[in-house]
Amino acid sequence: MIGGLGSLTAGRWLLIGLGVLIAAVFPLVYTNPYYMTIIVTAEIILILNISWNFILGMAGVWNFGQLAIYALGAYGSGYIMLHYTSVPVAIAIVLGGVLSAGISFLLAIPTLRLFGIYTSLLTFSFAQVVQYTALNDPHLGFSDEGLTGGSFGYPAVPGLFPDYGQEAYLRAYYWVCLGVIIASCFAVAWLRQSHLGYALRSARDAPAYTAARGVDLRAARVAAFVLSGFLAGVAGALYLSFNQSFTTSQMGLTPMSIDVTMLVIGGLGTVTGPIIGTAIVTAIQTKLINYPGWTLTVLGAALLVIVIFVPGGFVGLFSRVNRRISTWVSEGDEPPPGDPEPDQRLVA
Amino acid sequence: MTDVVAILANGFIYGSIYGLVAIGMTLIYGTLRILDMSQGSMVMAGSYVGWWALAEHGVNALVALVLAFIVTFILGTATELVSVQPLINRAKEVDLEMVTFITTFAVAILITNLALQHFGPFQKNVPVIVSGHVELVKGVTISYHELTMAGISIVLMGSLGLFLARTRWGLAVRAVAQDLDAARSMGVPVTRLYPLTMGLASALAGVGGVFLGGLYFASPTAGDQPLLFALIVVVLGGLGSLTGTIYAAYLVGLIQAFTEVRYGTTWTLTILYAAILAILLVRPYGLKGSPSEARL
Amino acid sequence: MSDLLLDVRGLRAGYDRAVVIHDLDLAVEPAKTAVVIGPNGHGKTTMLRAIAGLLQPWAGEVTLDGRRVDGEPAERIAGLGVVHVMQGDGLFAGMTVEENLLMGSFLGSSWRGRREALRRVYQALPLVEEKRAQKARTLSGGERRLVGLGRGMMRPARLMLIDEPSLGLAPVAIEAVYAALADLRKESEAAVLLIEENFTHVGGIADVVHVLEAGAIIRSGSYAELSTDETIVQTYLGALPEAGR
Repeated sequence: MIGGLGSLTAGRWLLIGLGVLIAAVFPLVYTNPYYMTIIVTAEIILILNISWNFILGMAGVWNFGQLAIYALGAYGSGYIMLHYTSVPVAIAIVLGGVLSAGISFLLAIPTLRLFGIYTSLLTFSFAQVVQYTALNDPHLGFSDEGLTGGSFGYPAVPGLFPDYGQEAYLRAYYWVCLGVIIASCFAVAWLRQSHLGYALRSARDAPAYTAARGVDLRAARVAAFVLSGFLAGVAGALYLSFNQSFTTSQMGLTPMSIDVTMLVIGGLGTVTGPIIGTAIVTAIQTKLINYPGWTLTVLGAALLVIVIFVPGGFVGLFSRVNRRISTWVSEGDEPPPGDPEPDQRLVA
Repeated sequence: MTDVVAILANGFIYGSIYGLVAIGMTLIYGTLRILDMSQGSMVMAGSYVGWWALAEHGVNALVALVLAFIVTFILGTATELVSVQPLINRAKEVDLEMVTFITTFAVAILITNLALQHFGPFQKNVPVIVSGHVELVKGVTISYHELTMAGISIVLMGSLGLFLARTRWGLAVRAVAQDLDAARSMGVPVTRLYPLTMGLASALAGVGGVFLGGLYFASPTAGDQPLLFALIVVVLGGLGSLTGTIYAAYLVGLIQAFTEVRYGTTWTLTILYAAILAILLVRPYGLKGSPSEARL
Repeated sequence: MSDLLLDVRGLRAGYDRAVVIHDLDLAVEPAKTAVVIGPNGHGKTTMLRAIAGLLQPWAGEVTLDGRRVDGEPAERIAGLGVVHVMQGDGLFAGMTVEENLLMGSFLGSSWRGRREALRRVYQALPLVEEKRAQKARTLSGGERRLVGLGRGMMRPARLMLIDEPSLGLAPVAIEAVYAALADLRKESEAAVLLIEENFTHVGGIADVVHVLEAGAIIRSGSYAELSTDETIVQTYLGALPEAGR
């Protein structure tokens, strides 16, 4: 769960296989369109969260511009879907990811000079510029509806499955997103134990030492930006094509706080954290849908409590309990040797 | 000519109120080395106190300001105790700067949504402190409310400066900002000083909120815009530098007044954030800041 | 026991996981000056910081005038009359000399007498008065050290902890600092625990000298005794001609 792919035991593989199988069969059994829409939207948010978790939790770069990158993926792919109808929608979605990766690359360069809070301020400023420019875009006069649709939202686009009925449409999007999630989880798990992953994590925990050992931090950081930007762009493009709309409020402070809460509750920097966090928060949101003020109150309180009392999120909690049980089973009174699990800290 | 007067007058007024809201963030960053993301919700809370006192109970304006000061002081102190204090002694496991960025943000979410539940999503009209206005030149008028706002903001910023320069606890705040260990060995009770500092900073924002409420409205999201402006001001001024903050506040005020007069209100934040982007690209630690200095 | 002002027993302290001092015993009598000498990096400053409460001791007892103080925070220990003149002076760099001095009398009881205290310090250290309006960061090393001492004199002390007053100073400045220290000894009733790398300068003020090596006290005695001890002289008075270096 925590280690790379190579460290997975046969039991773990069995568990993962079982989980994937259940997830894949699920929409054949369950068809309630209201909840299926919520679930598919949650899947898309999960893709965004996986991408954000990669840069924020694993690379330790305090990037608060991810929602703008996500939105740019949506706008980029939407432009292609709308104006170049001969291009297959799937390609348009990938191109949205490519556009986001490119912009992430450009965003990465100035952050190389910055540390800590200044990184978050720069990326946050970037997100604000994107959001307000998108909002004001119809005033720019590129075309009648502009590039983004401004506050009215993006015009309707063809989408991946224009001819499907509702049930098939939801099911098809469910599977597409599930495929992206599984692929990106494995990619992230593999990246963690790759050369790049080690470089990123050691850069996060001990930047000076890592640089002194001759690891090229800049290249690693830029690579992290590009990879996570691509995935965020794909998520944005999927959102637009699934929901047939995208407004500037999608990158406002409220979605940002919800996404941060998902990441922190699940456990920053872990592979399974975003999945658990997104599931829990979506469940809370759905439960409290009739009490609008309460959702964010509960989430804000949860965020505060988790950050202060459960620094590793739920994944950290599980693995700590798990470790304590195995220690207890093996009757050792010594704590396990070595590093106390670097991923349980928010950042070193 | 009219434009120039309008830009200068509005720039002065905006600058004063941004200075008041942002100087609290600077005070907190200078002492605790954290960015207080709850500062915006203190403005919001202040404007609700203004609405409650002025519109609902018709009290004297000065009483309303003092009330807002007290309420947001308590709120700020509580925020520190809840979101910062538990983390301070765990500097080894957590990156205090980043984690408190999240926890104070969480407090802001909480306060905003509690206000949403309690007061509802609709805007409330906050009466102005002083009614009437003055025409500077033909076509440029300033309300007495705005002038009072600017005046009281300047007085409060000046008082903060005097407090830090002359009083026992003011000196202690600066001492803690500059050398924590030395301050402790002088007998400064840091665990009490931190919440009080954050209370003071929040109270300044709260007073600003009463004025901003009169200028706009009191609503649950009334703190978002001031927070964004305060962030711009503190980054521009160099985090932790009080004089830098005041210069930056007036600079931001002038830029805002200029863009409003020339291009309309929609572009103000875009232009300001673009300026921040540009400044961070050239000067990674803000205009006046440097990594080790800028301590009150 | 009660005739000791400071009684340290079995003190153990360090940073992260590294033990710096261990099983350290040390006592200071009222109104006496104890000097601890020892090479750099053997735990002298760590010991002072642990006594002052800036560092949590891992084990052992620190008793001040019969009262256990280990584990108490620095601000509480300061309130009990312990003045800590820190290594490298610990001045507030962005504050003026006078503001620095005023912080020395921050504690409630002494704040009321701050004007009087300022006058006394300025009288004792005229050089400090000359610089009163200057920012601390603009001072020379010797001036800073004097301001640090002056700040330590701003409130009544029962115990002064003084960390390497000669560190990094030119010989002339060291003389000035030790002259000020000697004056302070004459005027004050406080006990002093002073640390230095060697005992070149401390002859005039030390009532008792301890040698700290590898985190523990290995020798104690009067200045006269230790300064005639062959091995100690060889190690710690390397600058004298007979030591050959």
